[in-house]
Amino acid sequence: MLTVTHLSKKLPDGKQLLRDINFSVERGEFVAILGLSGTGKTILLRCLNGLTIPDGGEVILNSNGDPLRITGSNSSRMREIRQQTGMIFQNFNLVKRRSVIENVMIGKLGKIGTFQSIFRKFSNEDIESGHRALERVGISDLSHRRAGTLSGGEQQRVAIARSIIQDPALLLADEPVANLDPTASEFVMEHLRSISIDNNISTLAVLHQPELARKYATRILGVRDCIIVYDGSANISDNDFKTIYGSTYNASAE
Amino acid sequence: MPVQNRQVSFKSIRYARYIIPVLFSIFFVWSVISTGISINDLINGYPNLADFIGCMFPPAWDVFIPLLYPALETIQMAFLGTVFAVILSVPVALLAASNISPSKPVKVFARGIIATTRTIPDIAFALIFVSAVGLGPFPGILALSIHSVGMLGKLYAEAIEEIDPGPVEAVEAVGASKLQAIYYAVIPQVTPSFVATTLYRFDTNVRSSIVLGLVGAGGIGFELIMAMRLFRYHEMSTILIIIFIVVMFAEWASNYIRVHVIGEEVLK
Ligand SMILES: Nc1ncnc2c1ncn2[C@@H]1O[C@H](COP(=O)(O)OP(=O)(O)OP(=O)(O)O)[C@@H](O)[C@H]1O
Ligand SMILES: [Mg+2]
Repeated sequence: MLTVTHLSKKLPDGKQLLRDINFSVERGEFVAILGLSGTGKTILLRCLNGLTIPDGGEVILNSNGDPLRITGSNSSRMREIRQQTGMIFQNFNLVKRRSVIENVMIGKLGKIGTFQSIFRKFSNEDIESGHRALERVGISDLSHRRAGTLSGGEQQRVAIARSIIQDPALLLADEPVANLDPTASEFVMEHLRSISIDNNISTLAVLHQPELARKYATRILGVRDCIIVYDGSANISDNDFKTIYGSTYNASAE
Repeated sequence: MPVQNRQVSFKSIRYARYIIPVLFSIFFVWSVISTGISINDLINGYPNLADFIGCMFPPAWDVFIPLLYPALETIQMAFLGTVFAVILSVPVALLAASNISPSKPVKVFARGIIATTRTIPDIAFALIFVSAVGLGPFPGILALSIHSVGMLGKLYAEAIEEIDPGPVEAVEAVGASKLQAIYYAVIPQVTPSFVATTLYRFDTNVRSSIVLGLVGAGGIGFELIMAMRLFRYHEMSTILIIIFIVVMFAEWASNYIRVHVIGEEVLK
C-alpha cells in the first residue's frame, strides 16, 4: 500500500533529520509513530503526501494496483496522490474565518473541478456526508459556528471530519488527540480505528501517549536519532519504550 | 566581537547626532534660496490675495443645487475608479506575493506593474487619457483605475504574504488545485485587510478625482477650473464649500462602512 525506501531529509541548516528510513504499510494497518519531540515525526508524515520534498529516497503509494511515486511527481500526479491521502495536521490548519461545515467540505475539493468549486457547488449528497462526519466526531451542533471561535479540541474534531469526508485510502494523523481530554481522546481514537477497519484505510498516527498506541494501533514505529529504532507489534515492551524515549523513560509512571 | 560592534554603533550614533542637524540646516537654507521663498512677495501680494478672497464673497448660492450634480459625478468617478482598480489589483497582487506567485519572473513582472503604476502620478495618467479619449469623467476613471493598482496591489500583496500558510497547505493536501487553495484558504484570510485598504483607497480617490477634474477629467474639479477661467469667483467659493462637503462625506462614509457595516462581520 505505502512503501518508503531510503528516505532521508536534512534541515535547511544542514542538520540530518531523517536518514535511510525504510518501512511499508499494508491496507488496513493502524500504525502509531512514537518518538521524542523534535525527532522529525511531522516532517516524516509531510514527506508521505509531498508537502515536504525529501532529499533522497522514494515514497510509493499503491492503493488500487497502480503504484504512484510521490517523490518527483508533477503537480497533476501529486494532486491525484493527495486525493487518496488524508492528513490531520498537528495544528489543525482550519480556515478560521469560515464556518465549521465549510471547513469540512474542503475535504471534498480534490474530487471537484476548480470551476465548479469556485461557485461552492457541492452536491447535496456531499453536504450530507459533511454533516454526517460532524455527527461522527460529536460536534454536529457546531456546524455553523466560525471555525476560529472553537476550542482547540473542537477544532481538532473539525480537522478529523474534514479527513473523513475525503474518504482517503491512507490517513496521516499528526497527534490527532493532542488537544482532547481523556474521554474525547478515547472516543476519537476509537473512531479512527473503526473507519480504518470499516473503510479498509491504512492509518499512520503520530501519538505522544504510549498507552493509546498500545491500545489502538496494530503496529508501532519508533523514531529516534534520524532512524527507525522500533518497528513491530503494538504489544510493545517497556524496554522497547526505552529505546524510543531514552533510558530515563519510566514506563510504570504511565 | 560584540563589544567592538557596540563601540562602532555608539560612535556612528554620536556622529549622527551632529551630522543630521547640520545636513538638515544646509538643505533647508539651500531650498529656501533656490525656490525663491520670499516674505516680501507675500506682503506685497497680500492686497491681491485679499482682493481675490473678497471677490469670492458671498458664495453664489443659486448654483449650489446645480453643482451637486458634478459633485456626485466626482464621487462616481472615485467609486468606479476604485472598483476597476480592485478588479485589476487582486490578480496582480496574487502574482506579486512571494508565497503564491507561480514563478520568479512572473513575480518580478507583477511587481514591475505595481511600481510603475504607483510612481506615475494619477494626474499624468489623466493628461494622457484626456488627450486619448477626450474631456469628461471617463479619462479620470481610467487614470484612477490604473494609478490605484500601484497602492492596492502593493498592500494586497503584503497582506497575502502575511497569511498563515497552514490552511493553504491543508487545502492542497486534499488534492485541490492552486486556484482552489487561493479561493478557499487565501481569500478568507486576507478579506479584512483587503476591505480596509480598499475603503481607504476610495477615500483617497475622491480627493484625487477632484484634482483630476482640473485637467479636464470631469466632476466638481472641472467646474472649479472653469469658474476660475471665467472669473466667476462667487461660484468658486460655492464649489470650494461643496468640495469640503464631498471630502468630509467620503471620509465619513468609508469610516462608517469600515466600523459599522462590516466591522463586526468581516473584520474579525
Ligand atoms: N521549516 C523548518 N525549518 C527549520 N527547521 C525545521 C523546519 N521544520 C521543522 N524543523 C525542525 O525539524 C525538527 C523536527 O520537526 P518535526 O516538526 O518533524 O518534529 P516532531 O517530531 O513532529 O516534534 P513534535 O513531537 O514536537 O511535534 C525540529 O527540530 C524542528 O525545529
Ligand atoms: Mg510534530
